[in-house]
Amino acid sequence: MRAIKGILLTCDSAVKQILLTMNEKAPFVIEDLDEFHLVIKADEEYRVRRELEAELEKNTYSLEAN
Amino acid sequence: MPSVQSPQAVDPPASHSNPHALLPFLRSQSQNTLTRLYQRPSSCLSIYRLLGPLERQLVMNLLWLESAIPVNTMAVWVVPEGKKLYDDALAVMTGLHILQNSTVKLALNPTFKSSLRQAITGGGSTGSFGVPAEKDDKRQPGGIEVLDAYALERWETILHYMVSSGQGQLPTKPSQGVLYLLQRSELMKANHGATLQITSSGFQFLLHSPHDQLWDLLLQYLHMAEERQMDLVEVLSFLFMLSTMELGREYSTDPLSETQKVLLEDLRDYGLVWQRKASSKRFSPTRLATTLTSLSPSLPTSSSTGGSRVGATTSAIGVAASTAQQGFIVLETNYRVYAYTDNPLQTAVLNLFITMKYRFPNLVVGMLTRESVRKALANGISAEQIISYLSTHAHPQMRKNNPLLPVTVQDQIRLWELERNRLKSAEGYLYRDFASQADYMYVLEYAKQLDVVLWENGAKRCFFGSLEGHANVRGFIERRTGGG
Repeated sequence: MRAIKGILLTCDSAVKQILLTMNEKAPFVIEDLDEFHLVIKADEEYRVRRELEAELEKNTYSLEAN
Repeated sequence: MPSVQSPQAVDPPASHSNPHALLPFLRSQSQNTLTRLYQRPSSCLSIYRLLGPLERQLVMNLLWLESAIPVNTMAVWVVPEGKKLYDDALAVMTGLHILQNSTVKLALNPTFKSSLRQAITGGGSTGSFGVPAEKDDKRQPGGIEVLDAYALERWETILHYMVSSGQGQLPTKPSQGVLYLLQRSELMKANHGATLQITSSGFQFLLHSPHDQLWDLLLQYLHMAEERQMDLVEVLSFLFMLSTMELGREYSTDPLSETQKVLLEDLRDYGLVWQRKASSKRFSPTRLATTLTSLSPSLPTSSSTGGSRVGATTSAIGVAASTAQQGFIVLETNYRVYAYTDNPLQTAVLNLFITMKYRFPNLVVGMLTRESVRKALANGISAEQIISYLSTHAHPQMRKNNPLLPVTVQDQIRLWELERNRLKSAEGYLYRDFASQADYMYVLEYAKQLDVVLWENGAKRCFFGSLEGHANVRGFIERRTGGG
């Protein structure tokens, strides 16, 4: 039996795929649990959230971009 | 109101379904404090007005009884469906020590009973409703318009200061006392030691009604008064006295205690009382103060500033106040917002979540956009708060629509909020590599009893437990492996 400290991320499958792609560049995933859950290193959460935010922003366009 | 808890038609539609914000504070006070407070008829009347409809009814039933009434007799009046409401009401009243704590007999606290009777029937000379000042032939008392203008100006200075702090502007500063209070209540926070910055609870505060805002601040003031060693009974009874005073009347400061004179100065800063000069021997409560324990609007309305429609009230304040009451926002399905206002405060509040397009003397046009809403969400304002602000301040023209706000826009605001929460995270431990299925089931069962399991998968034989549960689960496993 082992206990591993980490952070459980709950997300939709699209976000999970983005996270897995991000993981290839700089690994942070400890365990890929299922379609909606990942366990990641505890100290990486802030960076992951920031990078994910930036990634998602690329997919939106703004009416205000003038 | 989305959160109506009791489906029974006990509440009149206009009343708040939630208990008043002051009641929990009063409940936390000692019986001694409350009994001293109940010696003043004005306090009893005010507290009576703060109670819910059912509690008020029960007080009235018991008020004129000379002897206690058996619990069973009273319970016979209650239909089975109302039992819970009835019990809750009794618990509230016992908590406030209005009702004597007894399991067999129901009776009001004798002090409360005699004071409330006195408040209703008049008589006595306790001066708890304030002592009117002698008529001064040299000076006319400030009229209701003066008081309303003063209250509005003070109050909006505070709110405007809060709302502008987020945008780096420097509007008129409220007094030191107010600034300190804002900081204490964590509505604002000192940034880099120098300038005050509005916090996320501050943003939420801005969207509340003036009545709620006022009580938020006064509650904070009461907590501070405890620390400043001011006598709470003096402070509370002064507030209650103000709330039962007559608008437009002058009262004498002579009967006030030292504590209450200090209080008077603070309340002058908040706009609850008006004095001609700081050293004046007389004071007048403003509408903010006289509506403290009633459901009437806390800030002047068009009906009181002349009784006629907007056109008749020419002063800027008159117009702003009347629009504030009637609602001034039109929201279209294309996310455009038209706000018929010339009030800088309302404009500034709107600016928290809309993108401004044009400004005219009496009209502001803006758009709800993804960026503007996200900015508001990042500031800690929730989608529900934006929607409820828009519906409370909807223009009369909008009231013809059903539903009031376009559904597309409401949904989109909620979707924008959801979009920010695509990732949920929880810290904890992943338990895996169990030796056998039985082992796994055994530990999992234990963790489930503690309610710490966030995710589990029997096929992979692992589960994720929260951080709080880890010490217990680890202890359990160690005991088990140690013992067997």
